[in-house]
Amino acid sequence: MEDPAELAGDILNTHLEEWRRGGGRIVGYTCVATPREIMDAAGILPYRIRALGKPERELADAHLSRFNCGFCRACLQLGLEGTYDFLDGLVENNGCDHLRGMFEDWVYAKRPGFFHYLRVPHIVSEVSLEFFAEELELFREALGRHFQVEITDASLKEAMERNNRTRESLRELFSLREGERPALTGRQALAVILLESSLPPAAFEEYLARFLEKSRGNEVKGYRARLLLAGSATDELELVGEIENVGGLVVCDALCYGTRAFWNLPRLAGDPIHALAEAYLKHLLCPRMFDDYHTRLDYILRAAERAKAEGAVLVYNKFCDLHGVENVRLRMDLEEAGIPVLVLEKEYGSGADLGRIRTRIQAFLERIGG
Amino acid sequence: MRFGGIDVGSLTAQAVVVENGKIAGSKSIGVKPNPVDSAETVLGMLLSDLGLRHQDISYIVSTGYGREQVQSRGLAHANVSEISCHGVGAFWLLPGVRTIIDIGGQDAKVIRMDTAGELKDFVMNDKCAAGTGRFLEVMCRTLGITLDELGTLSLKARHPVGLSSRCSIFCETEVLHYLQRGADKADIAASVNRAMAERVAALARRVGVEPDVTMSGGVAKNGAVKSELERILGVRMVPCPVDPQIVGALGAAILARKMGGEK
Repeated sequence: MEDPAELAGDILNTHLEEWRRGGGRIVGYTCVATPREIMDAAGILPYRIRALGKPERELADAHLSRFNCGFCRACLQLGLEGTYDFLDGLVENNGCDHLRGMFEDWVYAKRPGFFHYLRVPHIVSEVSLEFFAEELELFREALGRHFQVEITDASLKEAMERNNRTRESLRELFSLREGERPALTGRQALAVILLESSLPPAAFEEYLARFLEKSRGNEVKGYRARLLLAGSATDELELVGEIENVGGLVVCDALCYGTRAFWNLPRLAGDPIHALAEAYLKHLLCPRMFDDYHTRLDYILRAAERAKAEGAVLVYNKFCDLHGVENVRLRMDLEEAGIPVLVLEKEYGSGADLGRIRTRIQAFLERIGG
Repeated sequence: MRFGGIDVGSLTAQAVVVENGKIAGSKSIGVKPNPVDSAETVLGMLLSDLGLRHQDISYIVSTGYGREQVQSRGLAHANVSEISCHGVGAFWLLPGVRTIIDIGGQDAKVIRMDTAGELKDFVMNDKCAAGTGRFLEVMCRTLGITLDELGTLSLKARHPVGLSSRCSIFCETEVLHYLQRGADKADIAASVNRAMAERVAALARRVGVEPDVTMSGGVAKNGAVKSELERILGVRMVPCPVDPQIVGALGAAILARKMGGEK
């Protein structure tokens, strides 16, 4: 079967093309706080926008400044140059200000058929949960109105059930990575998550079942140390591949495009909108959330413990304020907990910088005795 | 038994051979476009000086940007990051050293070692020429002086000028501005060295500075940067007893001795 990293290496894959040919709609989003189930219930394919480490920026730089996060600029570039013209709409939210700038410029320049701004609170409380539920209700209405489809509670429950199943399989797969004999690489794991948010649900379920089966008897060998990779919007398969080429096997992660997208989400049941609001807001592991640092720290510590990680790499893109600030404290707390840390600030998608990244990873492995 | 270390950096390449716990010889050259050619040349020159052949060296470790290519072409048995090599080399020379500030052609690193001579922590500069040897090169070109002159000239400064930016490009513009206004070159040179030291000091503070502190890399030869760093960090640097540019290659040779089986 095709390796997930090969399949996830393109923005537009053959499954998506097939979906489009069959009249299927696709809506793009970026933030992990977006409940995919609502789009899924409408029969719309929720596509998580990615840039896959592409370095071009010249169109985006005419809109955003060089002091904006490179990931957002790279996504905007792809939007402006037409790579994402296969999307029928966009969902923006207030994940971070760089992303907001990206969406606003994208919408201004390309005028997508459907656009919705989903506001996500920064705190978890009874009031904010109620607010978020209302926001999700507005999102449901907007989608239904534009795409002429009724999103019933029954169809939402069906989508929730489908996503529950997928998340269970993902957890099983990712547990295989964390085990004594890791069954897959970090690059493959990242690719699987990228596939989850870019394939039609049925195609992904089918692929995941086959990959899970294949991985059960597998064992990755020849690495120097087991690493945890945490940080911001990291969809660069090449970067994870480089870390692993030097000998640091990524056995667990706390990445926005990694386990944070599914690991902690509970099994969803009950009143759909309220269940979604509670699940997505209460388990939103992102430094954009106020007063929730210890939940995020605890998530990382537990992952490191489960996977017996010998060191942690905290990666973030230049100018990512949220993760840049968070990593200062995380570094101190993880080191205090006995986990050596490498903070890896990098330019997004800069293939030419991989040599310097390799040097730092190699030195880090030498430091931890790997 | 003899052990070798080859360090191919962005501007210079070095080779060191150690024998019976002593440095038998060292060589430094400007790099060629291909790191393997640089390694071959510098090692060949050193072996010729010492009257040795490649097979007379029991084990060789490569380091620096070209370390992997040098090993894969069979010139070295193993490769180790330059961060570890500079740490090990400095610790071998000065066992009391706990912090090494290494400023090379295109990067700056601050390396912390523990009492056993193991790498404890490190920090490396961002992908930016500011705070590296390249920054000084650019400023020297603008000032019309050599790198060697930059350190000595700044000792004559009376009223250093203010350089607001640490970005090499912007800084060059500011230097040009001062030159056009007729500022004394010595005053500008002192400010350039200070700007460099401030940048590296900020890096050092990220991992903490524990005495003894020493410097390695080409910029260690610039006395003005060194004394500015001492002033900002409030420490006295322990002078490097050998050419600071060979510390990385020396560390590689020391690691080669360990990897090659000699205690």
